[in-house]
Amino acid sequence: MAVSAIATPVAASSGSFLISPNVGLMLWTLILFGISMFVLWKLAFPRISEALDRRQRAIEESIDAAERTREESRELLEEYRERLREARSQAEEIIERARRTAEVHERDTQAEAQARREQLMEQTRREIATETRRAIDEIRREVADLTVMATEKVTRKTLTEEDQRRLVEEALGELDFSALAPAREE
Amino acid sequence: MSNRKKVLWGIALFYMVVLVLLGVIFGVSGHKNNEFQIQNEFKLTNWVDLGVLSINRGVLYLLLTTILTIGTMMYIAGRMKARPNRVQTAVEVLYSLMRENITRGNMADDMARKWFPFIGTLFLFIWYANMIGYLPLPTNTEEKFNLFGVHIPSFALYAATANISVPLILALVVFLAFNFEGVRAQGFGGYVKSLIPAGVHGPMLLLIGPLEIVSVFMRLVSLTIRLFANILAGHMIILFMAGGLAVILGLTFLGWFTMPVAIAVYLFELGLVATLQAFIFATLTAIYIGGAVSHH
Repeated sequence: MAVSAIATPVAASSGSFLISPNVGLMLWTLILFGISMFVLWKLAFPRISEALDRRQRAIEESIDAAERTREESRELLEEYRERLREARSQAEEIIERARRTAEVHERDTQAEAQARREQLMEQTRREIATETRRAIDEIRREVADLTVMATEKVTRKTLTEEDQRRLVEEALGELDFSALAPAREE
Repeated sequence: MSNRKKVLWGIALFYMVVLVLLGVIFGVSGHKNNEFQIQNEFKLTNWVDLGVLSINRGVLYLLLTTILTIGTMMYIAGRMKARPNRVQTAVEVLYSLMRENITRGNMADDMARKWFPFIGTLFLFIWYANMIGYLPLPTNTEEKFNLFGVHIPSFALYAATANISVPLILALVVFLAFNFEGVRAQGFGGYVKSLIPAGVHGPMLLLIGPLEIVSVFMRLVSLTIRLFANILAGHMIILFMAGGLAVILGLTFLGWFTMPVAIAVYLFELGLVATLQAFIFATLTAIYIGGAVSHH
């Protein structure tokens, strides 16, 4: 045995039993260590190991689950934000559209009113012109009749159709109706 | 001066005064006690004669070690909870230390799975053997004391690992284990070759080769002596300081002086050396086994 080499020099002293191996104790050690190892190996260690591994797995799973949940909630939040953004932009669009519609409507109304006003003005103007023309025509007729009558009184003779026309044309040509007509040129 | 300092100075002063008083009362010139041999504290007396397997205090300590090793581990294994209490947490830390640091840290994973029961048991067995070595038990049948007419063996500190036989046989098992593993993994020639460092050729081989071979055998000796001598020396110092010195020199008052040292050494041994030696033994075993299969 390897230890006997170092045991020899001190064998003479009274403490030599301290370093001389005791075979019985060695056997006991071997037996008891063997039993301990067998029991721990077959019964204790697998259970402890299994429990530790199971916990390890459980921890890993819960970490994974927590990460998944966080990811999901992040996505959800993102989705909500997206929707909120959409809703806001839609709202803005609606307002914008409403404003545009209102503007268009206002413009249309204004244009319509303008058009209507102009139409009315035009109509009035036309009526005035018509009336004026009618009045002028009446005046002409009156003037023509008066002219014929006056001429007949002066000449004591009935005028022929041709004379009459000529006289009327002459008389009317000298009269200025422009003052009666509405101020068209302006 | 702070309060703490005052208290410490007070204790020191009290200590010195009592020391002087004891010196005066009992006298400084004691007579030497040549009968008391401190190594006899570690003698194995056979209690039950069973031939080679006779039961003595070493066997008792081994039995206690075995019961504690198996008992605590089975107890914990039987009630492993998903939510651990403090004891379970402590055992789990210990278990992880054995499995991850000692075993897996020094060998490949498949080998670690195979060798963990051995290395784990080795650690626990040595650890318990060391720890109960600091528990005074009535095992000194040479010196009995009388308690109400009952002769009770004196309480003594002993440890199975303070006897060379226990570390030696464990080291022998380790020695066989790593050599067996090495030869199996690399073949006999390959294993012997792997012991010699790479790059050694020619005449150097004659010089270094035998040295390396011897160093493998020295592992057996160093494993044994490291554990045995550490525990034995620790117990020796505790015994000397706790009264052995005073008895041998016949200076009774000296006991007062050495007792605090004994307590300090006791705590040091219990708190550090016992665990450290078990850790070193198991770690070296793992390193040897792990190293035996790798090519250098």
